[in-house]
Amino acid sequence: MVVVYVFTSGGRLADGGGGLATAGLVLLVGGLIVRWPFTIPWAILFAGGGYLLAREGNAAVDGWAAAIGVLLLLAAELASWSMEHDARIKTEPALVVRRAATLGGLVAGALFVNFVLLGAAGLAASAGVLLAAVGVAASVAAVAVVLRMLRA
Amino acid sequence: MTRFSTPKLASYSALSGAGLLTALVFARPELVALTAPFLLALAAGLALATPPRLSVSVELDENRALEGDDVGARLVLEAATPVDRLDLYLRLPAGIEVEEGRNPVGLHLRAGERRELELRLRATRWGGHVLGPAYARVHDPLGLLVWESKAETRPEIRVYPREDVLRRVLQPRDTQVFTGNEVARTKGQGIEFADIRLWAHGDPLKRVNWRASARRGDLWVNESHPERNTDVILFVDSFAEARHGEKGTLDLAVRATATLADAYVGRRDRVGLIAFGGILRWLVPGMGIVHLYRIVDALLDTQIVLSYYWKEIDVIPPRTLPPNALVIGLSPLLDPRSVGALLDLRARGYDLAVVDVSPVPFAPRPSSGIDAVAYDIWTLRRDALRHRLQSAGVAVAEWRDDKPLQAIVEEVREFRRYARHARV
Repeated sequence: MVVVYVFTSGGRLADGGGGLATAGLVLLVGGLIVRWPFTIPWAILFAGGGYLLAREGNAAVDGWAAAIGVLLLLAAELASWSMEHDARIKTEPALVVRRAATLGGLVAGALFVNFVLLGAAGLAASAGVLLAAVGVAASVAAVAVVLRMLRA
Repeated sequence: MTRFSTPKLASYSALSGAGLLTALVFARPELVALTAPFLLALAAGLALATPPRLSVSVELDENRALEGDDVGARLVLEAATPVDRLDLYLRLPAGIEVEEGRNPVGLHLRAGERRELELRLRATRWGGHVLGPAYARVHDPLGLLVWESKAETRPEIRVYPREDVLRRVLQPRDTQVFTGNEVARTKGQGIEFADIRLWAHGDPLKRVNWRASARRGDLWVNESHPERNTDVILFVDSFAEARHGEKGTLDLAVRATATLADAYVGRRDRVGLIAFGGILRWLVPGMGIVHLYRIVDALLDTQIVLSYYWKEIDVIPPRTLPPNALVIGLSPLLDPRSVGALLDLRARGYDLAVVDVSPVPFAPRPSSGIDAVAYDIWTLRRDALRHRLQSAGVAVAEWRDDKPLQAIVEEVREFRRYARHARV
């Protein structure tokens, strides 16, 4: 979906960006076949780089970036789950459900954080990217603290 | 437990750092949006990761079983902290298989939960088996960190060979002084008629042979052959074996030894054991069910240990080889040391019978070429070796897996019936 979006973004370098994202996709599929975990971050990097290339020349903040980021996370998580899977280990069904629910919660949380981020970025455009990054880091840290307290 | 980080932790850290840096360089808020999910996953994963406190132990329903029997086992897990994802594997030795249950298994434990995982194991091969260790690997909820440990509880199970039932056994040539099931050649009190002799003071009246006395005019009494026990030594060759897959000549020899020991102990004979190989084991002859268990327990520890040390039967303690004992050798006749020991026993005047546990079925014949010629020469040499033993007066029978042990015992009995024992 990310590759398709990059190709259809209409930017000046959309084709180049699409090609880079496609390379990322091929790398991810190859990594899944041979079960090499180190291909995942490179595939995400290529896909993100392709998106950046396709957005070149477009000054407006892309609202779909929230969904793109979450999709990349989902792809990385699912790929990692697939590579970790060992058919010799008979997993209890309750554990599979629990893992899926955890992944779903993570994806929902990431989507929420991203929408808040982009909304804030749109409102406070003059404050700059640095402030946006600091804001993201602060929100993520707050989430982490809450989760830690709940765990304890 | 030892903690490790997974490749995912390094990947997400790198992506988060690279993404934020790129966003600053290119001044694109969208890149922060692409990076934020990975940063969130990193932070949430590390926040939720709790070092697990887990204890794993293994319990067995029985610690003794027969070959082919099923044994219940339990993996007992106690989690003091939440364990999000636990991969658990109990290492099983060769000869023990999982019949029912999951091994390895992936599961989740709540804080304070105690769980027992039931396994049904099948003992497929005789021997002393040690189960374990049990390996545990715990993942945090998002798979960023892994803790691994090994539980050292290692219960032992002893699997006894499944014995055949023998209707008849080899009869030793000489008997001993205690009461048993073997009719002795000497004369005394018993059931089997032996001879008659003149009455002497002290002979009971019931032993008088009235017919002979009436014919001869004097009192003549019956003499009988008493029933006595015998000494039997089971000589197991553990220098070498032939093996193909799960089966081997040592397995056959051990099962046959257990069967013979059971049969002779049941006749109230004294049975001893010599495992002659890289490791020498012996048991002095004894009687009774307790001694039978000692023999079988000693057999369970019999294994092939590679050794180039030349051994003769002088290394065997004299008490293990009583002078009038029947020695039954169970050997694949592969190692010259064991063949030499058997011939040496015969030369020392022991009553010897050998069961050649044939390695031929475990070595498939090559289809053609020089290997097939070598194979044929090897089988001919084995025939010559058996002939050499027979020439020395040793009853030898070749035992292949498809024949029952009783048939081999009968073959050896036939040879002994017609052979004459010469003392030199």
